Order: sequence, then structure tokens, then C-alpha cells
Amino acid sequence: MRCKLKGRIIVITSGKGGVGKTTATASIGAALALEGKRVAVVDMDIGLRNLDVVMGLENRIVFNIVDVVNGKCKPSQAAIRDRRIENLFLIPASQSDNKDVLTPAGMERVGKLLKKEFDYVLMDSPAGIDRGFENAVVSADEAVVICTPDVAAVRDADRVIGLLYARSITPKLLVNRIVPEMVANGDMLSHEDVIDVLSVPLVGLVPMDQQVIISSNVGLPLVMQNDSTAGQAFRRIARRINGESDLSIQVPHHQKGMWGMLASKFGKKE
Amino acid sequence: MGTNDMSPVKLKGVGDGFWITVDPQAPEETIKEHLILLFQRLRHLAINARVTLDMGGAPGCDELVAHLTVFLKKTFKVGVVTLPLEKRSIPVERTRQRDLSRGWKYHRSDVLMLQGRVRSGQKIESRKHIVIMGNVNPGAELLAGGHVIVLGQLRGRVHAGGSDDETATVFALEFRPTHVQIGGVSSAGLDEKAHGNAQIAVVEKGRIVVQSCLESNLFDALPWPEVM
Repeated sequence: MRCKLKGRIIVITSGKGGVGKTTATASIGAALALEGKRVAVVDMDIGLRNLDVVMGLENRIVFNIVDVVNGKCKPSQAAIRDRRIENLFLIPASQSDNKDVLTPAGMERVGKLLKKEFDYVLMDSPAGIDRGFENAVVSADEAVVICTPDVAAVRDADRVIGLLYARSITPKLLVNRIVPEMVANGDMLSHEDVIDVLSVPLVGLVPMDQQVIISSNVGLPLVMQNDSTAGQAFRRIARRINGESDLSIQVPHHQKGMWGMLASKFGKKE
Repeated sequence: MGTNDMSPVKLKGVGDGFWITVDPQAPEETIKEHLILLFQRLRHLAINARVTLDMGGAPGCDELVAHLTVFLKKTFKVGVVTLPLEKRSIPVERTRQRDLSRGWKYHRSDVLMLQGRVRSGQKIESRKHIVIMGNVNPGAELLAGGHVIVLGQLRGRVHAGGSDDETATVFALEFRPTHVQIGGVSSAGLDEKAHGNAQIAVVEKGRIVVQSCLESNLFDALPWPEVM
């Protein structure tokens, strides 16, 4: 298993915007790099780049993915090494172009180059299912679909899963931003409800965590913070992606108050 | 209807009598005029003859038949006036005999049968009946020319019976569609409480009615399995 084979390209996508694709890409990328793998995260959201900000690398950008595809530089020149994690590299998006400057054919070629240099290439797909999505997906071997437990996100994820199946990629599902209290009260879809509709293999469940906003604003890797529940969940997801498929999936649970604990201790019904 | 260019009455000799084919849509007077023309040429042959009145199987023309019978007997002294033998009873009987002995072994199906999950954004369109063994997710669409049967959850949009067939039905093991249309009748926002079990939607009096499949007596009126 340890011998270096060809790398894997994993696209992180969702259909709907704002469900946590960029955070997930940065976190899973960092966690895989901490596992000792050589990882590149590629921001495919051309024109609306923000993976660089989340990773705290925005002032070190020289080249971007559009330059790589257009042959202005080599992938290794565009890849920015992370400040803290040795094996983690970012290939940023261009902020001034739009997504139509890239073609699926160009991305496929670059994907092959990246596979030679990295163990894992994570593609942060833009929202939507148009050209940008196509560019992100075209070279991917695997896909992780991010979905939050709400009806709109589930529907969009369902559409994306259909499109990925049409490209004969079986995606894995990551349910993000679970609020266990709301699930317990029946105010939020549970992850079972989401899986029930989407019926694809689950790769992990991530709870809602305020630490996410703080760390993406200051550009610190979430997975390096031990007090972050979301960060811990992403580390487990990365281990699962990295071959530990029998690692159990932890369901974020509702921390009951003292009275709730007493009630369950004494076997109160309801 | 315009039957000016074609005679509403046709006559031919069969065995021991005459077979008269009548267009029941023509006015009675016109039919009589044409009968007179034909029978005048027959002269004495018409007397005491056996006449069979074939109305082309059209329903609701008993009165016309009675009038014509009296008219023919009085005017031309024909012997017996009968209707053609009940044609439909023979094929029905034969069909049932065949079903008993061989079933529908050689019947070719008009069903599009699919297995697997229908996802958001997917649209299944067919002029046949549609059977889905699997779930239909929110945002998916089924468009059938005939009936729709979902052996699973139905949560998408469904349109049965094409644009005009309101006898079509929609059945699902878990009936929770966002929108149902049968023929030209549509309905959205179905009652939330009734959801969750095997239900069937039909059109009754111009409205879509959803009822529990086990409790409804939709099919009790049919004594014999029929091909849809």
C-alpha cells in the first residue's frame, strides 16, 4: 500500500453554494497532508477564488490554474506550499478571468500532470452544474458530494450525484453542518434522512462548529485545532479517504443538559 | 354529420336474408328515404325476408332500431328484423378462455419498467405506462402516456395519462409527490397527514382523489384481469 502509485484526483462538489465545499477542501487537504501524503488543493472557482484566503495564502500567489492550463507555467510553479504543513500545496484560481477561459480538455491534460506529482489532488468545484463544474469534474477519479441537512441542499446534491453517475463516478457523501440539538428536536433533517434520499456511500458527518468561521478568517487549518469538533470530523474523513475504510463514522450527538442526563439515567420515558 | 356523399344505408344479401348496415348518426328520415330506394328495387324479394340491422355497434340506438323495424315490416312486409348477434360477447369469452389456458404468454407489454433511483433533474418520459422499482426523488419528473406505478417512495413530480387520459392512475408505495397531474387535471400540495402509505391517485368528478390502495374499491368492479 505504501508504494507510490499514481495519484488520485478527488473533486469536492455540492451543486448548491455555501454548504462548505471550500472549507471541506482545505480541511481534508490539510488532514491528508498531516497523514504524510503529498497533497495539492486546486481552486476551480475561477473568478471567485477564496480557497487561498481560507488557507491563509492569499499574499503569496504568483501563478494560478489558468496559467497552468494555458501553458504559461508548470504546475509546480503555480503550487504554493502551505506555511505550516509541509506536504500541502495550493493551486489558486484566477480572480480576473471567468470560468469559460478553461476547457475540459485543458483540465484533463493538467489533471494528468498533477497526478504524477501528488498523491492526492483535491478539486474545489464551484457551485452550479455548468462549465465550471464540468472543468472540475472532467479529470476526477472520485468525488465527494457535500450536503447540508436542508431540503434545498439535498435536492441540488441529488442532481449533482446524478451527473456524477452519468460520468460513471460513484460519489461519496459528506453531510456538513449538522446541529445535533436541532436534529434531536426534529427541526433539522437527520443524516439518515439525507442518506435516505441520496443513497450513496457516506464518508463522514461534520457537526456545526463556530471554530470554522474563526479559522477560515485567520487562515489557520481547522484540522490542527484540537478543540474543533468539525476539525476532528474532517481528520477522520481524511483517514477514511486514505484507505481506512473500516474507521467507524461518528454521529455528532446532542450534549444533553444535566436534567436530560438525569432523565435518561433514571429511565424516563419519552 | 356530413353523410351526403355516402349513403347512410348499405344492403347486401347474406344466406337467407339481407344485411343492412345503417349509419346511426344520420337522421332517421334520411335513413328511411334510402331504405325505400333500396327496397323498391328488391320488390317481392323483400316480402317475408330476414333482415339484420347492423348499427355498427354504436350504443344508444335502440329507439332508432325499433322505429326502423316497424317501418320495414309495415312498408315492405319483411319477415323478421333482428340485430346482429352480440359480437362483443364472443371475443370477451374467447379472451377469457385464452387467458385461462395460456394466460398472457404472448402478450407484448406496453410498459416501460425501470429499476433504480430517479434523481433530481432526471426526467422519464414515455408514451407507455411507467413502472419504477425504486424511489423517485424530489425534483425528478415522470411523464407517462398511461399509468404510473412506483414501487418505492414517490417524491417528485408525476404526470400520468398524457394530455387527455383521465382514467390513468398513479400508484406509489409511499405517496409523497410534490405535484400530480392526470390527463388535464392537476393537483399540488397534497394533504401532508395522509402521506406515508401505499396510495393511489385517480380522477373523480374532475378532481384528483388520493386514497389508500387497500381501502379503495377501485378494482372491485372488474371481475376479470384485463390488459391495461
